[in-house]
Amino acid sequence: MEPSRDDQLIADLQALRPTPRPQFAAELDERAAAGFPRRSRLPRLSLDRLRAVQPRRLLLPAGTAAVAAIAIAAVLVIGSLGGSSSSSTSQQHGSTLGDLQYFDGSGHYAKPAPEARSLTSGASAAKGATNGKAEIEPFSQNLMFSRNLNSSFTPRHRDVERSAEVVLAAQPEDVAGDATRVFEAVHANNGIVMRSSTQEGAAGEAGASFELLIPSHKLGDAMAAFSEIDAVRSRREATADITAPTVSAAVLLKESRARIDSLLAQLEGAETEEEREAIEAELRHERRHASRLAAQLTHLHRRADFSRVALRIETGSSESSGGGAWGIDDALHDAGHVLTVAAAVMLVALAALGPIALIALIAWLTHRAWVRRERRRVVG
Amino acid sequence: MEQTLVADASDAPREADLAFDRLYRSSRDDLFAYVAGLLRDTTAAEEVTAAAFERAYRKRNRFDPRRGEPRAWLFGIARNAALDELRHRGRQAELTAEPADPESLDTHAGAERSDRRLTVSAALERLQPGERELIALKFFAGLANAEIAQVLGTSESNAGTKLHRAMTKLREACDGTV
Repeated sequence: MEPSRDDQLIADLQALRPTPRPQFAAELDERAAAGFPRRSRLPRLSLDRLRAVQPRRLLLPAGTAAVAAIAIAAVLVIGSLGGSSSSSTSQQHGSTLGDLQYFDGSGHYAKPAPEARSLTSGASAAKGATNGKAEIEPFSQNLMFSRNLNSSFTPRHRDVERSAEVVLAAQPEDVAGDATRVFEAVHANNGIVMRSSTQEGAAGEAGASFELLIPSHKLGDAMAAFSEIDAVRSRREATADITAPTVSAAVLLKESRARIDSLLAQLEGAETEEEREAIEAELRHERRHASRLAAQLTHLHRRADFSRVALRIETGSSESSGGGAWGIDDALHDAGHVLTVAAAVMLVALAALGPIALIALIAWLTHRAWVRRERRRVVG
Repeated sequence: MEQTLVADASDAPREADLAFDRLYRSSRDDLFAYVAGLLRDTTAAEEVTAAAFERAYRKRNRFDPRRGEPRAWLFGIARNAALDELRHRGRQAELTAEPADPESLDTHAGAERSDRRLTVSAALERLQPGERELIALKFFAGLANAEIAQVLGTSESNAGTKLHRAMTKLREACDGTV
């Protein structure tokens, strides 16, 4: 085809060019002047708006949101860890002795009196329950006791076993003097030194350790005295409620003794040698049983009467930051802990979101590929 | 086209709006012509044209001048919108303009010219859809070969070759019709 025909064809094509209606053109101009306001209020509003923002402008808010999310998650996790730790502490390691409280089973909390113990026998148990210095009212609804005890025995106080651990930081040359002061503090509080060892030497090698029994009602005074000997590196106190086994043993002992009295009465009335021997055999058995129960009860009472205290005097740097003034090491340690928790949270979040994101990505890519294929198909 | 949709950060919103306004004014009729040629439905073409400008306006800050001309970018958006419209309709693309109005042609160009244009219109119908789209982009929208290549996602030489083949077939179809 010669050029003139080409030009004619092009002119014909351009003449066939569709043109917009003036009314549509005017409306579109108005919309353009107004910044193309949306005509439909259907979804995708926020998505389109988000897409319209430059990616670099999204960095700051997105980064801030991510950091905030991590911080909130870390706080929540730390809070939950702290909460569970505190909970277990109150059960096993206890709170400070002065703040110790007990749930009485009826919605009330009450402080126990350490000295207000004790059930030396079934009879004295009842008496002690009546005359205890620290009574917890009401106590009859305690489910634990309602399961284990008969209704005639209603305890009115708790037996608590206490233990403590103290680590003192000392200079190597002070170890011997500190050890002496520990002995003095123990004796001043009527305590017992179960085991002790003192090691002299350089920092890190020198030290001392003690296993002590301190009367429970003097534990607070003793701990205060120990804390004054030298710098406290760490201090832990724990409590364990042994009321249930104590009361149970007391009740069983009471029943056993009643049984012995009954057998003695039967023995007096025995008429035949055979009957007497049978009763005596049963009596011996019951006395052994009562003896075991009495020993068990005594042991429980001793656990409640005396608190075990593990005291160590250490020299050299502390591996942990449990005591003393809060410093840079503690800050680094805490920061490391927080970062570890945050990393753990991120890991869990990624583990949960990763597969979902992957599926979403695959679905999006598949959909996009399908749309492109369909568009190609449309134009042949 | 030497337009740009980007500007210094200090006055980015205002400059981007002005740049888009320039793009809109220079492309409005061309875009409509291309979309109408693609859809062969004036009402749908108006909807798609408006939607394409709206989408482009929302995305104007994401336009990257390194990836092509603004006009090609705009036509790419319009092309996707038009093809989506065709997909949703379930129709095959028909890339010619709406049938010319013989009375209008008679009025403005005379009977001979009217016949010739009806012949061209009929010849366009016999082309492959892809070939007709090329002609629509070139002669309805007035895009340069480089811009057509960007819209179709191919190279400029490839777009030029395809366009040449399409024109050859159109001429042959016109001759066959005549």
